[in-house]
Amino acid sequence: LFQKTLEIYSVELSGTKDVEKTDKEDGKEKYRGLKNKCLDTKKNHQKEEFKKELDLDDHKLSNKELEKKYGTDIITGLSSSRAAELLARDGPNALTPPKQTSEIIKFLKQMVGGFSILLWVGAFLCYIAFGIQYSNNPSSSLDNVYLGSVLILVVILTGVFAYYQEAKSTNIMSSFSKMIPQQALVIRDSEKKVIPAEQLVAGDIVEVKGGDQIPADIRVLSAQGCRVDNSCLTGESEPQSRCCEFTHENPLETKNICFYSTTCLEGTATGLVISTGDRTIIGHIASLASGVGNEKTPIAIEIEHFVHMVAGVAVSIGVLFFIIAVCLKYQVLDAIIFLISIIVANVPEGLLATVTVTLSLTAKRMAKKNCLVKNLEAVETLGSTSIICSDKTGTLTQNRMTVAHLWFDNQIFVADTSEDHSNQLFDQSSRTWASLSKIITLCNRAEFKPGQESVPIMKKTVVGDASETALLKFSEVILGDVMEIRKRNRKVAEIPFNSTNKFQLSIHETEDPIEKCSTVMIHGEEQPLDKSTAKAFHMAYMELGGLGERVLGFCHLYLPADKFPENYSFDIDTMNFPTSNLCFVGLLSMIDPPRSTVPDAVTKCRSAGIKVIMVTGDHPITAKAIAKSVGIISANSETVEDIANRLNVAVEQVNKRPPRDAKAAVVTGQELKDMSPEQLDEILSNYPEIVFARTSPQQKLIIVEGCQRQDAVVAVTGDGVNDSPALKKADIGIAMGIAGSDAAKNAADMVLLDDNFASIVTGVEEGRLIFDNLKKTIAYTLTKNIAELCPFLIYIIVGLPLPIGTITILFIDLGTDIIPSIALAYEKAESDIMNRKPRHKKRDRLVNAPLAVYSYLHIGLMQALGAFVVYFTVYAQEGFQPTSLINLRVDWEKDDVNDLEDSYGQEWTRYQRRHLEWIGYTGFFTGILVQQIADLIIRKTRRNSIFQQGLFRNKVIWVGIASQIIIGLILSYGLGSVTALSFAVLRPQYWFVAVPHAILIWVYDEVRKLFIRLYPGSWWDKNMYY
Amino acid sequence: MVIQKEKKSCGQVVEEWKEFVWNPRTHQFMGRTGTSWAFILLFYLVFYGFLTAMFTLTMWVMLQTVSDHTPKYQDRLATPGLMIRPKTENLDVIVNISDTESWDQHVQKLNKFLEPYNDSIQAQKNDVCRPGRYYEQPDNGVLNYPKRACQFNRTQLGNCSGIGDPTHYGYSTGQPCVFIKMNRVINFYAGANQSMNVTCAGKRNEDAENLGNFVMFPANGNIDLMYFPYYGKKFHVNYTQPLVAVKFLNVTPNVEVNVECRINAANIATDDERDKFAGRVAFKLRINKT
Repeated sequence: LFQKTLEIYSVELSGTKDVEKTDKEDGKEKYRGLKNKCLDTKKNHQKEEFKKELDLDDHKLSNKELEKKYGTDIITGLSSSRAAELLARDGPNALTPPKQTSEIIKFLKQMVGGFSILLWVGAFLCYIAFGIQYSNNPSSSLDNVYLGSVLILVVILTGVFAYYQEAKSTNIMSSFSKMIPQQALVIRDSEKKVIPAEQLVAGDIVEVKGGDQIPADIRVLSAQGCRVDNSCLTGESEPQSRCCEFTHENPLETKNICFYSTTCLEGTATGLVISTGDRTIIGHIASLASGVGNEKTPIAIEIEHFVHMVAGVAVSIGVLFFIIAVCLKYQVLDAIIFLISIIVANVPEGLLATVTVTLSLTAKRMAKKNCLVKNLEAVETLGSTSIICSDKTGTLTQNRMTVAHLWFDNQIFVADTSEDHSNQLFDQSSRTWASLSKIITLCNRAEFKPGQESVPIMKKTVVGDASETALLKFSEVILGDVMEIRKRNRKVAEIPFNSTNKFQLSIHETEDPIEKCSTVMIHGEEQPLDKSTAKAFHMAYMELGGLGERVLGFCHLYLPADKFPENYSFDIDTMNFPTSNLCFVGLLSMIDPPRSTVPDAVTKCRSAGIKVIMVTGDHPITAKAIAKSVGIISANSETVEDIANRLNVAVEQVNKRPPRDAKAAVVTGQELKDMSPEQLDEILSNYPEIVFARTSPQQKLIIVEGCQRQDAVVAVTGDGVNDSPALKKADIGIAMGIAGSDAAKNAADMVLLDDNFASIVTGVEEGRLIFDNLKKTIAYTLTKNIAELCPFLIYIIVGLPLPIGTITILFIDLGTDIIPSIALAYEKAESDIMNRKPRHKKRDRLVNAPLAVYSYLHIGLMQALGAFVVYFTVYAQEGFQPTSLINLRVDWEKDDVNDLEDSYGQEWTRYQRRHLEWIGYTGFFTGILVQQIADLIIRKTRRNSIFQQGLFRNKVIWVGIASQIIIGLILSYGLGSVTALSFAVLRPQYWFVAVPHAILIWVYDEVRKLFIRLYPGSWWDKNMYY
Repeated sequence: MVIQKEKKSCGQVVEEWKEFVWNPRTHQFMGRTGTSWAFILLFYLVFYGFLTAMFTLTMWVMLQTVSDHTPKYQDRLATPGLMIRPKTENLDVIVNISDTESWDQHVQKLNKFLEPYNDSIQAQKNDVCRPGRYYEQPDNGVLNYPKRACQFNRTQLGNCSGIGDPTHYGYSTGQPCVFIKMNRVINFYAGANQSMNVTCAGKRNEDAENLGNFVMFPANGNIDLMYFPYYGKKFHVNYTQPLVAVKFLNVTPNVEVNVECRINAANIATDDERDKFAGRVAFKLRINKT
């Protein structure tokens, strides 16, 4: 029954050994490069500061020198008085929040932004007009007071609405402040004290233990098994050990410095505080991120452009007619009132609120698809994105090591790397596999956390490091219950993989582990390891390493039972057991595989005209391998280096002049640092497929800027604190919701809740859709402005009784038209919006000339005519025939004319006329309303026929139409008696007077669309397609 | 990091504008070539021509629903308004006895207003009707056109007729005449077959005191039924509106007096809150004596 104890060793080979070596050298180069860059460009003062920080030499100093430099004592710490002094000098150990614009300023900004200023002017003019009227005649009507108050109310309501929307978006600095550890254990006056971390000063001696956050940048003086998670700072997810030795020139790489806000995972350490608050590395990145200007989003620029345009039209028409009115000998008071009315008619009061609602509706829709939008305007930005700079780890890849290839029996097998590993195709019948699987199973410390029986294997949480986790899951999927196998083969002794001792041993063995092996197992047979087998092994090893995979070798050795009886005491310290002459069984290579949805998503981006650039801190080989497997570098494109390899010529000889042979480029951080901005521009504009590898966070920023110089709208994905400047700089920063640090999430405009690149594609689609739909909404809203404006112009020039009142106009803009214009946001795309190029942010405007011309001069004018027909009908049927109305205005509006004669000789009092005027307003209002229904229907599409789009597919449109009619009915029948609203009960038949014109609008627009479809690119298309 | 703000110099802007107005390379004027402009102009000519035609058509169709002789709806004119002559600014009748110019314009207006009422003209054009009953001229299937009107002779206005009146309707002596008329409403049977009259009074107590005595012509301020119904200016060509003249005999001078006249008729309400002229008229009277 006695079983031989089975001892198995696993040995790590570094698949990227060579790269590692060069990298160690250029690690500091990398940062020195950064320094140079900063010096070269002298961009701003923060960068200079950053450079200074990197000159930090505390890690090189001995304890004595440190004591001297910081005037402290390693044993007794600072004295309390000295600490208080320093605290007074340096300030608390906290990040200074950026200057906050006060809430009141923000609120006031909303009150004067957009169209508000015009409306304020309008309201102000109203009160002036009333003042003049009142001084002439104290019993003058209060109409202007009503109007002024209504205008102010409109401004305040829309302002409050916008302010509320803005207040919902969060502030970048809040997460940095959240990161501050609350307490710190400090030695002062030879005593250990717990003080708030804010009170730490440079020179303090602090102790940290596993689980703590590092309270400041500290120089480690002594440490026991201390490992820290620097991921929030550098993006590396591997825990890093910390000790008191100086291991690297670069302060960011050396092991004896711990950084503020990173986490101590295990062990303990004592350290000397070398910098606090804003002077820490994190502090610098924070200031870098907040120093990056918050640029206007593309949609904000578009809306501003639109506001300027409409305001320009409003003011110029207003002033023009003011002058005309004065020339026509109108009183200045009247001219002022005309001016107000023209402004009110021209300004789409409800539009900005509608746009906000529309954007937030899309934001909600996107949140359902795992894109959480923080800044509403970013909804559209994603749609106009033309370059995506994607991080590799976690976004494109699954962010977990997975077994990708196996090598045994002199053969390479491919393992399934999809998310569920369901489809393992390699030959499992070989006895070598049996041995290999045994090693994988047993020589592994990783374990599933208990209580996850129902969770699929790949989703179970594992305690253990990344490689072991990968092996565990791999074997669990193939072999079944790993724990059971382990129970049957009791572990006698173990040298843990992560102990310092073993770690060094393993590095030693990476030189050539096969040297330790004397035999190799092929097809279950142990064979002596000869030269040819060793060569085959090396070939496999190089091939797998060339794919950027991490390669592990597996050997075993059966210990003879007579030498190692059951009660043999294995001592891992003295190593009283053999560690050489093992039998080599096989290799397993692991990679962080791409998410299965990513290749498809990248293809979609491609067809949508979006360039996907990979920017990663990882090695070029790995980066290129992943880029190839997800399609960022497509299967048939080559880099300059590939071509040189293939043709066996030097890199310089490859044809670099257009048309270039190489479509793809892999640029390392080191190459990047030597490039001038012009060279970077050249690369960005000439290579459709680019991978940036080994880049530092600051280089990410440089890359983003390079892309922006190409007039591209740049999206950046990232997860670490180090990414936050680039995220902020990007037109749209996208942070990872699961893996992302708070700082990244805060700097970003959008958070991917599932960390999945494919979600970006949905975001792009939604963003493009909303841009199209906003065009429709704006076109719909602008149309009626002409119908609202014309009455005033006619009124001034021809002298008809006023066809529509200013307050009535407000009821259209803020009443009947609101829900329909929001309903257009629910419109489906007309064609595959993912098959066209992203819009050019300077050429493809939201409101372009054809849109304005078509809305104003075509449909708007038709609407105005239709509404005038209703107006004339109302007046004619009540006794005033159209011709009698001309130049009637002056007498019509005189309060002392109470016997104005109509076309039939009847005489009207002022109030009778006024009531008729209200009926006229209501008639004109329903005329616009009825035609706005037609307008709403035609705006469903810009190119396709309504019947192609489906009249009833968007149900919300019908809700909008219903709301329009209901509000119209309420206004004309319910509120007809409220004087201030100037509505009156309308005969039902007047609702139908404008219907022929409404039908005409529909037919005309169908004709327009038909010609656009028939003759693409023609004169008609250019002038009529908006 | 540093965004290069493209600040254009003034010269560049002018240059750009110049190029926009006339671009010699592309032969574009205001961003369009000659052909493009021609197309655009042609298009708008046709398009706006079509719109005008459409508008004209719908207007024509609409006007077919409207008769030339009677309006389709009269719901707004349920209560005829009252109005005064002379028609003055804000209905303030201000008479400076010594200042001839202040009332001369009123007199001129009244002369002109009362000219059609001259007995000669009335006798020539209009019928003598039977008082106390409506003068109905139904169509009875055949268009009865033009319809006859009843005489209202200027002499009926007595002392206010202004015929051979050296006091100019009393304006030169501070005893002015004000004429009250009721608005014409087609097919309105004022008074509902009962006699009606106009009464005047001071608006408030002090006004009544200051107003003093007045006389009315025709007597009692009566308006006869024979002047109704009105058939519209196309049918009722020579229609003469009945008037009531009020001569204020001893208005307290140098005081503003608010006078309100209303019609007492069975079917005319005079208490409309909103329409201050429905069946009534309010005006200010001020006689300035030095």
